[in-house]
Amino acid sequence: MRVSHALAILVLFAVAACAGVLGLRSSDPSHPFEHRAHVMKGINCVECHAGVSTAGDTGPLHFPSDADCRRCHTKPHDERACSGCHGESFVRGAAELAREHLRFEHANHMPAVNGDCVHCHTAVAETRPEALRPKMATCFGCHKHEDQWTLRDCDGCHVDLTAEDTPPASHLVHDGDWIREHGVRAASERDLCSSCHSERSCAACHGVGTVPTLPAKMAFDDVTLPGLHRAGFRSRHGDEGRADPGLCTTCHSENSCIDCHTASHVSPAGTRHSPHPPGWITTGAGGGEHGQQARIDPVSCAGCHGGAGEQLCVDCHRVGGPGGNPHGSDFRSTKNKLRDLPCRLCHGSGR
Amino acid sequence: MRADAVADTQSETESPTGLIVLQGQDKMRPWVDAEGLVWAGAKPDATGDVLVLAIHLRELHGYGDLRVGRFVLATGAVFPVQLDGADGIGRTPWGSSLEAFGGVPVVPRFGSRAYDWLVGARLAQTLASKVTVGFSYVQRREYGDISNQELGADLAAVPFRWLDLAAKAAYDLTSPGISDARLSAAVRVGAVRTEVFASEQSPGRLLPATSLFSVLGDFPSQRIGGTVRWWAAPRLDVLVSGAGQLVGRELGGNGWIRSTLRLDDLGSGSLGVEVRRVDVTTARWTGVRVVGARSLGGGFRFSSEIEIVVPDEPNRRGVAWPWGLIACSWRAKSGWEVAGAIEAASSPQYRYEANALARISRTLEFR
Repeated sequence: MRVSHALAILVLFAVAACAGVLGLRSSDPSHPFEHRAHVMKGINCVECHAGVSTAGDTGPLHFPSDADCRRCHTKPHDERACSGCHGESFVRGAAELAREHLRFEHANHMPAVNGDCVHCHTAVAETRPEALRPKMATCFGCHKHEDQWTLRDCDGCHVDLTAEDTPPASHLVHDGDWIREHGVRAASERDLCSSCHSERSCAACHGVGTVPTLPAKMAFDDVTLPGLHRAGFRSRHGDEGRADPGLCTTCHSENSCIDCHTASHVSPAGTRHSPHPPGWITTGAGGGEHGQQARIDPVSCAGCHGGAGEQLCVDCHRVGGPGGNPHGSDFRSTKNKLRDLPCRLCHGSGR
Repeated sequence: MRADAVADTQSETESPTGLIVLQGQDKMRPWVDAEGLVWAGAKPDATGDVLVLAIHLRELHGYGDLRVGRFVLATGAVFPVQLDGADGIGRTPWGSSLEAFGGVPVVPRFGSRAYDWLVGARLAQTLASKVTVGFSYVQRREYGDISNQELGADLAAVPFRWLDLAAKAAYDLTSPGISDARLSAAVRVGAVRTEVFASEQSPGRLLPATSLFSVLGDFPSQRIGGTVRWWAAPRLDVLVSGAGQLVGRELGGNGWIRSTLRLDDLGSGSLGVEVRRVDVTTARWTGVRVVGARSLGGGFRFSSEIEIVVPDEPNRRGVAWPWGLIACSWRAKSGWEVAGAIEAASSPQYRYEANALARISRTLEFR
């Protein structure tokens, strides 16, 4: 046998062995209902889901009973309830939530689609349980709702969208690196975000005062929770901040650095715990690395040296001083240097 | 009415601290709701802070909204500002909207206020439910003088079901130049979603204009990269991201790959591995993180997480920073939950460090 054939057989065995782990084959006897097989047999939906065509916004959910199944399956393979394994456990919860959160009547829709359930339940033949509930895009196939969509008026169908707390499935995607991505996506559609998210979602990061209790910190046992502060973040936080200027101050005030470093005895500079590397400030030409870094990431500097600490800069960076002009070569500003802050801190006295 | 309270206590930091969340909605009066979020701390000085206290009024057909109180203003290309003030928006059925806002920027806790205020507006138009274009302006004054003026433009477009575009840019009129620009384009085909992104950000924009450091940040951070998410199998996700970055005059980059394998259909157990490389200015390191969680039955759950970061230049901070955690939790049907963990690390601050973590919680729900 050629090596390539042996390798191919080995890969096939490996995939087969891992099929359960990858979710390709489930070990749980319960499984999505075999809608496809029943549809292919030409069985009309309402033969099992009796009464659904006249169902209103309240009442039972019209799941088939064992008696419904046994009208055809006269010799069941098991005495247990059919729905225990065949699908119901997958969809009952979602159906109950839909009944609670949506304003919907099958009775109104059945005449419009001539009793063709598949018109809306387009993915009924798929085995994925989440495919049974029509996506919102399917609703929009007939109900344009353009005015309501434009006006963010969701109450026509959704009882209480915020309380519904349902991840958007069909019209929004929170995939990929969403923490980075959400800012540009929200710019044009802030009110769309607020359809589901309340004020505190924004304030948790973008408020002036920092929320001290992050979900990732509280849920230390949920290791799959995403978040910037996972695992050994405290060790690498300085490098994380330098690699993405401004990232830290999205949530933290510029005083957070000095507050925490003081509490942790990692300041001031000059001690063996100095956060600055060797060669940070030199007396020769260029002044060391601090000037370059201050122009790349002044926010980090302000983290410790803001407020009264700014005097540390002015002591050197003044006309005639050893630090010279701190502005970049292409620095421009429309501010009045004698009157406006922060210009007047240096220039106000005619310096 | 919904109320949540969270308390957190640690030995080293300001402690104990907590959050109180109140949210009120009335189905009989759906045109009004209110929300409050209060942080409270006990050490070193008893204090607290109101982060959100807002009343939201809306016209029931969506023609207008009004927020009054303390909230985060995040609209258009304008940088988010926490505001004590009002924000109103009017919409028309043909897709136009006008938003106007004004107020006093929030000062943390009970800090003193100068003669500071902020006003702005955003005009937007939606075309064929596929494209939204907006233009915004904001003027901020501190001590009575203009400290910041920005013009912004934003765009969101979904021309096809598989293509999603978003962009925004803000131009600083006070220190002329682009202060923030971002672009994101995402394509979704089958089990793969690919996003390309680019950004330019002036770091000086993030500081109060009264800070001396705000006049130093003239080196923008420019970044271009991409992210791919692949649902490789029903239980297996793979996420890859990489970006090139120009910070100051230095070119760098970072990239990572993360894979998660769920051990059952409900996701109650999983294995994950992540490898990351960062090489930007003086931040250069490589890290590996492995996580695992498994439901043990009877409400018990075991989880573990290990990370090792190796900096390129230790600078007396240690040649590697290992970190590990072993946790176990138990959730009762009554709503009680107990979790405990041991965390151990060797960090730049401590050669050896071990912490014990515990959490007890109780969920109560009244309907």
